[in-house]
Amino acid sequence: MNVLQVRDLAKRHGRKDNLVRAVDGVDLDVPAGQMLAVMGPSGCGKSTLLHLMGGLERPTGGQVWLAGERIDTAGERALARLRRRSVGFVFQSFHLVEELTAAENVELPVLLAGGSPRAAKRRARHLLDQVGLAHRARHLPWKLSGGERQRVAVARALANEPLVVLADEPTGNLDTAATNEVLRLFADLRGMGQTLVLVTHDGRVAASADRLISMRDGVFVEDTWLGGRTGQFDGLFAMGD
Amino acid sequence: MGRLLLVFRLVLGDLRRHPGPAVLLVLSTLVATAVLSLGMSLPGATERLYLQTRAATAGPDVVAVAPGMSRAADTALRSLENVPGVASRSRTYRTFFTPITTGGREVRAAVLGADTRPGPIDRPLVTSGVWVRPGGVVVERGFAGALRLRVGDRVTVAGRSFPVVGIAVTAARMVYPWATMGGPDGGPSDQSGLVWLHERDTRALAQADVPVASLVYLRLRDPAATAAFRAVYHEAHDPAIRVNCFTWPVIAYQDSVYLRDGQPILIVGGWLLSFMVVAGLSTLAAGRVAGQTRRAGLLKVVGATPGLVAVVLLTEYIALALLADAAGLAVTRLVAPLVVNPSDSLLTTGAGPSGPVVVMTTLVAVGVAVLTALAPVVRALRTDAVATLSPAVRRPDHLVLLSRLAGLLPVPLLLGLRLVARRPGRALLHAGGTATTAVGLTVLLMVDAQPYRGWDFGGVTMADLMDDRSRLLLLGVIAAMVILAVVNTLTMTWTTARESRATMAVARTLGATPGQVTAGLATAQLLPTLPGALAGIPLGLFMQWLFGHQNPPQPPVPSLWLIPPVLVLATAVLAAVPARVSARRSVAETLRAEAA
Repeated sequence: MNVLQVRDLAKRHGRKDNLVRAVDGVDLDVPAGQMLAVMGPSGCGKSTLLHLMGGLERPTGGQVWLAGERIDTAGERALARLRRRSVGFVFQSFHLVEELTAAENVELPVLLAGGSPRAAKRRARHLLDQVGLAHRARHLPWKLSGGERQRVAVARALANEPLVVLADEPTGNLDTAATNEVLRLFADLRGMGQTLVLVTHDGRVAASADRLISMRDGVFVEDTWLGGRTGQFDGLFAMGD
Repeated sequence: MGRLLLVFRLVLGDLRRHPGPAVLLVLSTLVATAVLSLGMSLPGATERLYLQTRAATAGPDVVAVAPGMSRAADTALRSLENVPGVASRSRTYRTFFTPITTGGREVRAAVLGADTRPGPIDRPLVTSGVWVRPGGVVVERGFAGALRLRVGDRVTVAGRSFPVVGIAVTAARMVYPWATMGGPDGGPSDQSGLVWLHERDTRALAQADVPVASLVYLRLRDPAATAAFRAVYHEAHDPAIRVNCFTWPVIAYQDSVYLRDGQPILIVGGWLLSFMVVAGLSTLAAGRVAGQTRRAGLLKVVGATPGLVAVVLLTEYIALALLADAAGLAVTRLVAPLVVNPSDSLLTTGAGPSGPVVVMTTLVAVGVAVLTALAPVVRALRTDAVATLSPAVRRPDHLVLLSRLAGLLPVPLLLGLRLVARRPGRALLHAGGTATTAVGLTVLLMVDAQPYRGWDFGGVTMADLMDDRSRLLLLGVIAAMVILAVVNTLTMTWTTARESRATMAVARTLGATPGQVTAGLATAQLLPTLPGALAGIPLGLFMQWLFGHQNPPQPPVPSLWLIPPVLVLATAVLAAVPARVSARRSVAETLRAEAA
């Protein structure tokens, strides 16, 4: 079953001579449990693709389906509900809420989804324990190292057991040790059957995926099956025109 | 429950993380609500206090005063009970106009004979000590305050020493120092205070041929029908005997004279302060827009709906506004008695802001908070979540020439001028705020240059409470202006430093020193300060000419010339604090944060 489906997806900025095709009519299916990496040079449109798939940006053309529900036409409230329940984001710059502690950041999506404070606390404790940060639960983000912040961000992304985790350059701001920590975490998630879509510059990160898509100038130029547990790759992709 | 907790957490967290802007917001709103609630509390305030005092002391509807203590005067006063509309009258009392001596000073006073048990009309309220008894004197509270008399002190009346046994208020006399009410000749009267002596103790005054007037208190069937009473009385009275009838609205009107004199100060001061508050808050809001928009983006990314984001942002501003509003109203509660009842001759239990004033100022405070939070809220509602996470790049599309010109100048001036060129509107606001402060200081210096005459109490000069009150009001307004000027300077420097953090970090990487960056940020505040201060002086002189005394004093030119350098120096010192804090921030950290 495909968690994510993208059809003829496009995002264009500007007009006429200034027209920029950030994403230019791509198709993509992401089966449940697959770990997909998207690589490409800066400005090729991979982050935009991720934002479009997570409902953070609206496409100028095409369709995005998440778990059978079309999201590119959804209203802002519906998108908010979707981000809360079905999608978890991890960013290069972590994007933790700076005035909340690590535990409170992880509790945030649970509370937003209407969970009780007690349930949110229990979930945060469990996830921070899973990412090895139970002892740092009460620390504010600025007191944490880059790797720790990213692990908190991963825990937050998993708070509502999302259908898919979308990670945008999750190791881009991390040193080697911290990158290894996060990669181990993603490997664990992959082992648990979590659907993951990663945008990365880092070959080590891409190598850990089931499938690798290369992007250039807003289109997919290569779609490679790297093997792995799921084996559901059906090779659906479109070359840009 | 969970969402409530979340909103509470986010608000509290942001306040903890950014206490500076919160304090500045509270201070600005506090001053605005205090001035607004005070200004709105003034109309009719003294009349309200008079009515409260009148209710508490069974004040008469009419005080009828006749010169002397002749049989004809007594007859004329007694006959008033036959005037249509009069329900009852008191017995006839005598007022003796004689100086009293206390602490080596002999001051003019009206000595009113009184019974040990006051009659049903006019029952003065003793606020300290006991009511009058043979051998003891009771002093009217406003008069006692002016003479610094307390229960137990001694007062000499017509050569005889009496202990002060009590201090009281009444609604049957005009407030201190207008206790004479027509005097022994029925008219125009000098300033004096009021004391009560037991009837028996006033006999010596009667025998000593002291100027005297007789009076009765009247109760009307309809207390509101005082105009009808006066019309009927004028038709019927014997023109051979001059009787002055002071109705309670006349007394209430005279009591409010204190307020009428000080109203222009509060009205004009209110305008000027409002401008400064708007300048400060708009700058503060502008400075927080980027951070708050990013915060909104962070919340949206994890699934907060635009509505919830709006609630979080608005709750914080509204909570701060309500806090400032409560503090502003408390300030008004403390200050209002001094403003509306400087003589202390009236009861001040209800001198604070009334219910409608509380509602109105709270609405204004909340309205300002909503307007302040509106920009990030609207952005949060209209912008894609991901777009709010990237700091917007502001193109310096204004005053490009100024920026180019800056290239020819020394580094601090170059940086300062470029910062001004980026936000010319803010520089104008700052210049306007400085001009407003200069206006206030100019008026203060002009008022200070006026000679202080005081009130003549028969050779003794007493404090002129009206003049004192006007100066106090002016000082209050200027103090509020100075507080706002300080808050605004800090806000503007902080906001400019925050917005130009990346630019300054880049300047540092190109070789600018922290000192040059600090000087640049301070210069950006100083450039509009000087023209603002220079413009404020003639404006202040114009204001003084427009609203001040008819014969203004010679302007104290040397003091006036000190205003611009003092304001420039003060701005430099104030601006240096946030500028230095900002300039000392690590360049690498700043660039990393901006890239994030």
